[in-house]
Amino acid sequence: MLAIDFVDGGGVTIAGRLDAAEAPRAQTFFDRLEGTVTLDCSRLEYISSAGLGVLLKTQKRLLASGGKIRLTGVSSHLNDILGYSGFDRIFEVERAR
Amino acid sequence: MTTSAAFKRSFDSIPRIFALTAEAFARDGIDPRLLHTVDLALEELFTNMVKYSTTTDAAVQVEIVAIEDGVEVTLTDYDVEPFDVTQAPDVDITLPIEQRRPGGLGLHLIRRLLDSIEYDYSKEKRRSRITFRKTQSGSPASRRVANKGEENACD
Repeated sequence: MLAIDFVDGGGVTIAGRLDAAEAPRAQTFFDRLEGTVTLDCSRLEYISSAGLGVLLKTQKRLLASGGKIRLTGVSSHLNDILGYSGFDRIFEVERAR
Repeated sequence: MTTSAAFKRSFDSIPRIFALTAEAFARDGIDPRLLHTVDLALEELFTNMVKYSTTTDAAVQVEIVAIEDGVEVTLTDYDVEPFDVTQAPDVDITLPIEQRRPGGLGLHLIRRLLDSIEYDYSKEKRRSRITFRKTQSGSPASRRVANKGEENACD
């Protein structure tokens, strides 16, 4: 199950599992984002390549208009995934404390 | 003990696949720290089968077996052409974002996270079989990839 919501201050929080079954719904939400967005990943339990594809597509679109996604609350597992996929080069990443 | 089930060729099967791994891990006492990696590998391999073998309606069989220090998982796909996932090219992760594409990332990732991946194709049965292992102490499959069988190919 995946939940994505706006939070106070213009950020976004994502919780649950971002897999291939949930990616289309996530993409619909992310297509509404504009500017620079902080995405709180502290409750993101799981992400697959389908979910990474959603983040990549959104980052490309936002960068083209001067914005970007910043990832915060990144767990050790998610950080490994981002590193192996090279996404740590294209996203600003803040590890979970 | 083996935990197994057959899954319809649809992304809608993914939550049920995750339920099967959770069941096997809980019942067989498999280290829960391995669960996300096993789920990731299963999802990437299953979705690959769904996306690239579109001429069959055959269900994909998944078997999960506890082994020392970890788990071994086998996916079997019937009535399909060969596609050796162990030979799929790596993604160039150094490319600038404008040139990055999501394709191929799943197999690239799981080769770095798993201990081993083996591919076997039976031409006579038109059957693909992928077996992967993940242990708590293992090393990445990107250094120990193997394939075997009557015929292997990569598209």
